[in-house]
Amino acid sequence: MRTRFDEQLEQLHVELITMGALCEEAITLALKSLFDRDRSLVPVVLEKDGEIDRKERDIEALCMRLLLQQQPVARDLRTISSALKMISDMERIGDQAADIVELTDQMHDKQLEMSSSLHIRSMSEEAVKMVIQSVDSFVKADLELAHSVIAYDDVVDNLFSKIRGEIIEQIATDGTNGEVYIDLLMIAKYLERVADHATNIAEWVEYSITGIHGEMDGE
Amino acid sequence: MTKRIFRAIFNVSLLILIASTFILVAFVGDYNSDRTKEAMHADAVYIAKAMETEGISYLEQLPKQNQRITWIDTDGTVLYDSYVDVSQMENHGEREEVVEALNTGRGESTRHSTTLAEKTENYAIKLSDGTILRLSVTSLSALSIFLSMTQLLALVLVIALILAGFLASKTSKSIVKPLENVDLEHPEQAEIYDEMAPFLRRIAVQNKLINKQMQDRQRRQREFETITENMQEGLLVLDARGEVLSCNKGARRLLGVDRVPEKENVFALNRTEGFRRCITAALAGSHEEVTMESDGRSYQLLANPVTEDSLVAGVVLLLFDNTEKADREKLRREFTANVSHELKTPLTSISGFAEIMKNGMVKAEDVPRFANNIYEEAQRLISMVQDIIQLSRLDEAQENVEKTDVDVALIAETVAKRLETQAAQKKIKFHLETETAVLSGVPHVLEEMIYNLCDNAIRYNKDNGSVTLKVEKHPDDITVTVADTGIGIPYGEQERVFERFYRVSRSRSKDVDGTGLGLSIVKHGAMLHNATISMDSEPGKGTEIRLIFSLAEK
Repeated sequence: MRTRFDEQLEQLHVELITMGALCEEAITLALKSLFDRDRSLVPVVLEKDGEIDRKERDIEALCMRLLLQQQPVARDLRTISSALKMISDMERIGDQAADIVELTDQMHDKQLEMSSSLHIRSMSEEAVKMVIQSVDSFVKADLELAHSVIAYDDVVDNLFSKIRGEIIEQIATDGTNGEVYIDLLMIAKYLERVADHATNIAEWVEYSITGIHGEMDGE
Repeated sequence: MTKRIFRAIFNVSLLILIASTFILVAFVGDYNSDRTKEAMHADAVYIAKAMETEGISYLEQLPKQNQRITWIDTDGTVLYDSYVDVSQMENHGEREEVVEALNTGRGESTRHSTTLAEKTENYAIKLSDGTILRLSVTSLSALSIFLSMTQLLALVLVIALILAGFLASKTSKSIVKPLENVDLEHPEQAEIYDEMAPFLRRIAVQNKLINKQMQDRQRRQREFETITENMQEGLLVLDARGEVLSCNKGARRLLGVDRVPEKENVFALNRTEGFRRCITAALAGSHEEVTMESDGRSYQLLANPVTEDSLVAGVVLLLFDNTEKADREKLRREFTANVSHELKTPLTSISGFAEIMKNGMVKAEDVPRFANNIYEEAQRLISMVQDIIQLSRLDEAQENVEKTDVDVALIAETVAKRLETQAAQKKIKFHLETETAVLSGVPHVLEEMIYNLCDNAIRYNKDNGSVTLKVEKHPDDITVTVADTGIGIPYGEQERVFERFYRVSRSRSKDVDGTGLGLSIVKHGAMLHNATISMDSEPGKGTEIRLIFSLAEK
């Protein structure tokens, strides 16, 4: 009985790693399509998003089976409940990646090039780094890394307000391209959300290790 | 153990109980009947005596006892019976004991009741008047004694059961106790039942064997680990569930992990798409190969399933850094593409000119011009093929060339002489500043290097420009400098001019003919001589290339 449980927990771990890897790939490819103006990546990212959704359902079913059949307690219970929370954050990251490519798909090369004048590229690098590190912190059960991801959210938030300021300025000077700038602002907002989800994942990693969720006593 | 002992004790006590009951009953029955008989005989004698004096009245006054007294006449008619009315009794003349008494004076017999539960002992004695006095005593048989004891026996049995259980547990505990105290690591030291000695000896021998085999295994494991740890390649062994069984230093380095916890799943080490696909396929039982990119380096991953009885028992992963190999591969592909392209260009021209001439579309006076074109293109082809041969020779002969002491100054002079006319055609001044500088090298390679540098300096020069060839001897090295006042090389491309077939501007290759291999030959020659190349170039002003031959190694 115990070995079966251990096996299922191990399977959950592997499935979560796979799902995390899929998220990393989806968001990285989405941003690659934005900056390299490579539209061939659009269907790839959408396919990845679909795969992430399927993985979420699989993992959810696995978690439910574990909860019902094994009735875990203490640490195992924390692992499973935080897995349930993590997958919804991961799934949202996949959705944001899909949203980004849908936006870039509609833009012309010229319009896409306008993003280079903003801080979007550096923001996207930071956001992707956060996603990768949050998944890493889960894989390695690295509490320190999880903390650093949580702390890093402010950097991305600051970059977002900076980009917002830049876009306001651009629209004020160049009113004709207002629509494109709004789209770029949305991309920036998506990235900010991605970073938030990465933070959430890191918080659940922290919870599964220590049993204390950052927001419980933090805010 | 307790169970067996219990059963043994219980069986034994049951057996004893049955046997003793049987013997006892038999013995008591026998004894009883003997005593009864004796008493009966005595009674018979007394009663006979009394009867002879008092007659039947004596019999009638006797109290009713368990002895049945019967008086029988000589013809067998019953005259008196203490139990039953005389008139209802049959003739007793045929009775065994009566017949016997009539004949011999006394007789006896034993009769069992139909159920065997009772036994009647009869004793007959002949009185002096010829009549017979018979006494009968009815007693219980051995069987009925036994049956009457059953309740008691059952009680004894229950007690035996309890006692047996208690004793069995006690005994087994006391037997087992010394066994439990045996130190199985050193069984030969244990002082215990002699019966156990062979087992303990056997265990001791096997312990020794196991220890030896363990040590053997550990030593082999260590050997294996030492070998794999120091491999350049990464080696990972996974079990059928994808958990890491062993991971060497190379694998940790290539995967960028510090340490691998025991039983870690392999996906925790790396989760890139190619890696996942490769491992999933290998776990499903097929050989898989993938090239991964990470931090600008490229890795080759080979995943081999290990099958046992057509089931995947594990996976062996081999990882190696093939950045250099991939780079070389890329270079080779480029080179092949370039060679074919560069060789094809003059050949296409030649074939084109020849075709026009063959079709007779060329006027007689134009033939020399066409022939000249063909000749020039052929010359270009020849020089290119020569360069390629030179290069491949340099590629192959990196090691086994014989070096001799050469004076670079003399070579420089030879080169200057060879290029005199070419310089003069472009009205370029050629300055030569040399001093004797002897180094160990391959003369024709050195000449080729300096020739190519100077040739480029003239070729990519402006009209009325100048080329300076300097040979200087320093204490530690010899420097050959070729400086020109030519067009220079754009900053972004200065690194690339040493690549094969690389020419700064493709469009310019038409104006200035060259093979694009010159500087590549220089680079290879420099490598052969352990020389370094440095370059200063400013677009529009000129280029200065220095070859520095180190003398330190001598």
